[in-house]
Amino acid sequence: MTASRNRFKTHKGLPSRGCAPGVALMDDGDVLRLAVTGCWTVREVAGIEQVLAGLRLHRAAHSAERGEIDLSGLERLDTAGAWLLNKTADLWSNLGLPSRFVGVLEPHGILLDEVRAHSPDPDNLIRSEGKPESIITDLGRASLHVASFSYALVSFLGAVTGSIAATVVRPWRFRATSFVHHLEHAGLRALPIISLICVLIGAVVMQQGAVQLEYYGAQAYAVNLVAILSLREVGVLLTAIMVAGRSGSAFTAEIGSMKMREEIDAMRTLGINPLETLVVPRVLALLVALPLLTFVADMMCLLGGGIVAVLMLDMEPLDYIIRMNDSIEPRHFFVGMIKTPLAAISIALIGCLEGLKVRGSAESLGFHVTSAVVKSIFVVIILDAVFALFLSAIGI
Amino acid sequence: MESPNAPSAGNNVPPVLSVRGLVKRFGNQVIFHDLDLDVQRGEVLGIVGASGQGKSVLLRCITGLETTDGGVIEVFERDTSGLTSAERLDMDARWGVLFQDGALFGAMTVLQNIQVPMREHLDLPERLRDELAMLKLALVGLPPEAACKYPSELSGGMRKRAGLARALALDPEIVFLDEPTSGLDPIGAADFDQLIRKLQRALGLTVYMVTHDLDSIFAVCDRVAVLADKKIVSTGTPSLLQAAPSHPWIREYFCGPRARAVAS
Repeated sequence: MTASRNRFKTHKGLPSRGCAPGVALMDDGDVLRLAVTGCWTVREVAGIEQVLAGLRLHRAAHSAERGEIDLSGLERLDTAGAWLLNKTADLWSNLGLPSRFVGVLEPHGILLDEVRAHSPDPDNLIRSEGKPESIITDLGRASLHVASFSYALVSFLGAVTGSIAATVVRPWRFRATSFVHHLEHAGLRALPIISLICVLIGAVVMQQGAVQLEYYGAQAYAVNLVAILSLREVGVLLTAIMVAGRSGSAFTAEIGSMKMREEIDAMRTLGINPLETLVVPRVLALLVALPLLTFVADMMCLLGGGIVAVLMLDMEPLDYIIRMNDSIEPRHFFVGMIKTPLAAISIALIGCLEGLKVRGSAESLGFHVTSAVVKSIFVVIILDAVFALFLSAIGI
Repeated sequence: MESPNAPSAGNNVPPVLSVRGLVKRFGNQVIFHDLDLDVQRGEVLGIVGASGQGKSVLLRCITGLETTDGGVIEVFERDTSGLTSAERLDMDARWGVLFQDGALFGAMTVLQNIQVPMREHLDLPERLRDELAMLKLALVGLPPEAACKYPSELSGGMRKRAGLARALALDPEIVFLDEPTSGLDPIGAADFDQLIRKLQRALGLTVYMVTHDLDSIFAVCDRVAVLADKKIVSTGTPSLLQAAPSHPWIREYFCGPRARAVAS
């Protein structure tokens, strides 16, 4: 007869509760006996499992004819311990060693049966942690996402254009109140913040430009720098980014929360077209507001540059205006302005589309609001870059 | 868990949960005044009371989520106030709480939710953790496919079951259920009652159940404690309370048309 007793090491985490678990394997020739004692609970199972693995139960099983698991010394058992006991019995059974539990108290028996009845299938156990994703899979998924988003955006553009066309044909269906509301919120109320940042950026560009150009004695050319940069790029870009952050996200949040509460579905069942009532007024409002805001932004950039020129570079105000007049041609202004309707449509469409994609939960709403802002700023900058390349190629 | 089928009450075994002279106030409003309550090991105790009587507040006081203004709460024969953080942790692991809508973590799958307590407090090998979590999932009657789903993809009844599986993750001795059948259809509610009964027997649980569902009370509760007038006004088996109501609210509750329909 061989016997082996094992000490259990305590592990981190919860303290064990009084009775230490024990397991002893005894080989009585025909009968292989596993004596189980103490607490077999979830706090101990990690240690117990290691000890069981160390006992090499499958090796010992070959020599015996019957297996017995003796539970008479068991003090406390819970589902985790019952799971391990059942697993050990199954291991022996699978090796052709008929095994049974002996010395089972009634409550332990109920628990063992209940756990056996609900044991997960070992062959297709669902794991909590999948394999780490390869970078190729990730790249592929991201590409598919970009493709499907572009497709959705283009088809949404088509649907909205159709809706706008329908509104032109039947102008009495146009939601004037909604349009004015969004014009106020996206346009008028954005004026102070956009004016402020444009004054500051105009001033910063003027100051930095003047410092750099001073090395060449061309400090006065900083005016050209500010004027052309503001009108062509900075005014429109800053406005578009601010509007994307203020209004694009607001569109997603408004439409998304309506989607969450099934208000959009309710509109459909009442025969109201959500595109016509929700999307068209927002797109048209932004289409009007963004060029106007951009014009104000341009003026404010020039004003900011002027303030620095007069206060810090000791330039006469009239001098500044004359220099500016000399350096600016109308085409610079129009190059900036021509980009605004495109930016407006991109921001409004992405905001509304993301809003309509919101699903039932608050997390989904948050995700889509973030996504709307990121995507619209990204698209606006891409558009700007394409325009800059194209216009410089044709020499404007 | 040494005696899962312990007798429910009436002998000299110390109660597993005992509240003495509990006082709780919100500002000037007194919620509980001198409230006493005992829960015996292995019983299913239902807490009933009209809306606004503080059924949920009592649950939160016992589990330490609300501070109290007086009185003693003993769980496992230990005063719950003034525990060190290690003792507190040990106690938390010996009870599980099912909140009203499951309170599952939205960013994790059901399986990961069930594993949260195991991950936080125990050092289990990954495979064993997965096996135990799947076992818990089967015990609460959820299909294996539910393991990979997120809470937002589950129905209300499934969320409650998943929440119960998480409450059972560390094999607690007491489970607290806050309105376990509210928001479920009658069939789903009856199934959930059966589930509570079955698990209580199999795992030897003590169940503390806040409810106002008459069907649940008659289906699963060994004893009912009635919360009214800032204290527990009466305790007893549901049929006893119905036969001899000692408080106007109990008469209204247990002898109203709906209660008669359930009991008959």
